[in-house]
Amino acid sequence: MAKKNIDYKQLAKDFWYGKPHTAEEGGRRLGELQMDKTGLYRHREWRGFKDTMYYMYNVWGYNYVHMVTDIMKYGNLVDFMKGTWRYRWMGQTYLPVIHWFDRGLAGLRGEALRASAWHYRAMVSAALQQICNFFIADTRLHNGEQNEDYKHTFLAKETTWGGMFYPWADAGFKYIPIEMIPYFVTCHVNSHTVLNYIDAVQSIGLPGDPCPMCQAEAGLYVLDDVPDSSPFVITCNEACDGSVATAIVQDWFIDKPLFALPLPMQFDDPLVRENCMKEIEECWKFIEDQTGVPFNWESMQKRLEMQNKLQRDEHEKWEVAANTDFYPINGVAQALFRIFSTQYGIQGDFWDEASEKVKKIMYKCVEKKINPFPQTRHRVIAWSCAPLYYSNWCTWAYNCWGLNVIINMDSLMFDMEVRNDTYEHMLEDVATYHMWAPMRRMAVGGMHHIFELWDYMEKFNCDMVAMYDQLQCKGMQGVHGLFEDEFRKRDVKAFWMPHALPDSRTVSRAEIRRMINDYMTTVMHEEPLDPSLLDFDDSMTW
Amino acid sequence: MKKCICKLIRKLLGIFILANIVIFVIFFFDLDGKLLYNVVEPFMKKHFDNMERRDVLQTPYDMDKFPKYKY
Repeated sequence: MAKKNIDYKQLAKDFWYGKPHTAEEGGRRLGELQMDKTGLYRHREWRGFKDTMYYMYNVWGYNYVHMVTDIMKYGNLVDFMKGTWRYRWMGQTYLPVIHWFDRGLAGLRGEALRASAWHYRAMVSAALQQICNFFIADTRLHNGEQNEDYKHTFLAKETTWGGMFYPWADAGFKYIPIEMIPYFVTCHVNSHTVLNYIDAVQSIGLPGDPCPMCQAEAGLYVLDDVPDSSPFVITCNEACDGSVATAIVQDWFIDKPLFALPLPMQFDDPLVRENCMKEIEECWKFIEDQTGVPFNWESMQKRLEMQNKLQRDEHEKWEVAANTDFYPINGVAQALFRIFSTQYGIQGDFWDEASEKVKKIMYKCVEKKINPFPQTRHRVIAWSCAPLYYSNWCTWAYNCWGLNVIINMDSLMFDMEVRNDTYEHMLEDVATYHMWAPMRRMAVGGMHHIFELWDYMEKFNCDMVAMYDQLQCKGMQGVHGLFEDEFRKRDVKAFWMPHALPDSRTVSRAEIRRMINDYMTTVMHEEPLDPSLLDFDDSMTW
Repeated sequence: MKKCICKLIRKLLGIFILANIVIFVIFFFDLDGKLLYNVVEPFMKKHFDNMERRDVLQTPYDMDKFPKYKY
């Protein structure tokens, strides 16, 4: 009988440090850990003893426990259970939240694992705060009773910036962006749920080609799946006027006092800004009328300062990301943390806590010259709106090809501090912030802003562009050719990534991977770091 | 007394180690994910698919029910 040669030294090394990343060094073959179709793991990744234990106790276990303590902190278990049973976007979606961590943090080691997980932790905390605020105030879960929480909650369309409501925070009012949890976050955690809402709105006659974000948001109302948690509502037209139709459906089905706060399309015009400032003040008057509570300048000033501090933190981090190899946050953790925190605003200390922890890890990397992404081959900037059902594509791209997404459009949209020294300055900056709404400034906000890509690419020392191609966004489809021309003219390495925002049926995750694989082999002539990740079936995954 | 304390410590240590082994098995073999995907989600999906819902299309669209809120 042939004797098997077992290299015990190598085994011990793999046990302690985890298998090496690249195929040449033996390879960890991450693609083989996943089960066909479902994306569930045959077993979770062995990251080496230290990192596996860290992941098990400080990420997996820690977050399971804190999900329960967060519910008790922001609401109560009874209302939470009732809400879970009542709303599909809750009951079907939020249970696999730890798998969302697994997908986003796959393959990470050391400081990259620790820092990126803190961004995820803050997002879970913010999501649970919104969910609890929804449920404790919801008349449907309290036999129609309009309790004190109901009277102290603002519901507004998700692209209305939370900072707009800071003046009432000291008086105990809470702001909930209506669709941020039922629509936006669900797509990242469990992309199955949103399909029900898209199909629902099409079932009452909406054609299939408008933006699927607007479709899904309207579908929530068609299926009567929005909590009744506030006596009045504020809507807006979101980034594009496709969403005006959503606001009309909301006005119809919510059937409550409603203020429509427009997001101007031509926002660089100073006259438009002046008009926008007036409309914001009208919105504040509407809130004063509805609540009977006046605008509180101190409350606004205080929270703007907290938000500005977060922005300054981000500038510190970006400085390291742009000029060194020591930035420990991966692409998906960077993008989601920023879009979530800048849009939801300050309603707790979770953003600041995460930011401080990440800075500490980052400075450790700088001091000790630790490169958290040692297999980086290309520094990538991701531009335009990302596929929500595959926001973790950049984790895959690093593990498979060494494409390290340093920065992205979602992070850069609100690159500003809001002045809080005088009312006039504050109002001017609030109007600018409001007009730079998600997907507006650098997606459908005009050529000047869309082409800010070139400046940021240089600033962050990126050598490649991941260009998102939202197939149902009429605005961005209109500039596709212009980008092609510019890429050629500037000799920029770029690949396109078609998708349909929340709808994983239009362009599958496998198709997105195939397009990147094709680009990397046929244009870049490169070999994958981990060939097991080139092709696998995750068609039915969360 | 000393023997009794030692026995208690040994017992607690045993429970601690066993609990950690169980947690590790659940974690490492993704048993939480498998349970949620194969059992909990299909159950919840069935519940939500069969849930009775208000027909919101029956809501009248009253254009003048509320003021215009012009300031």
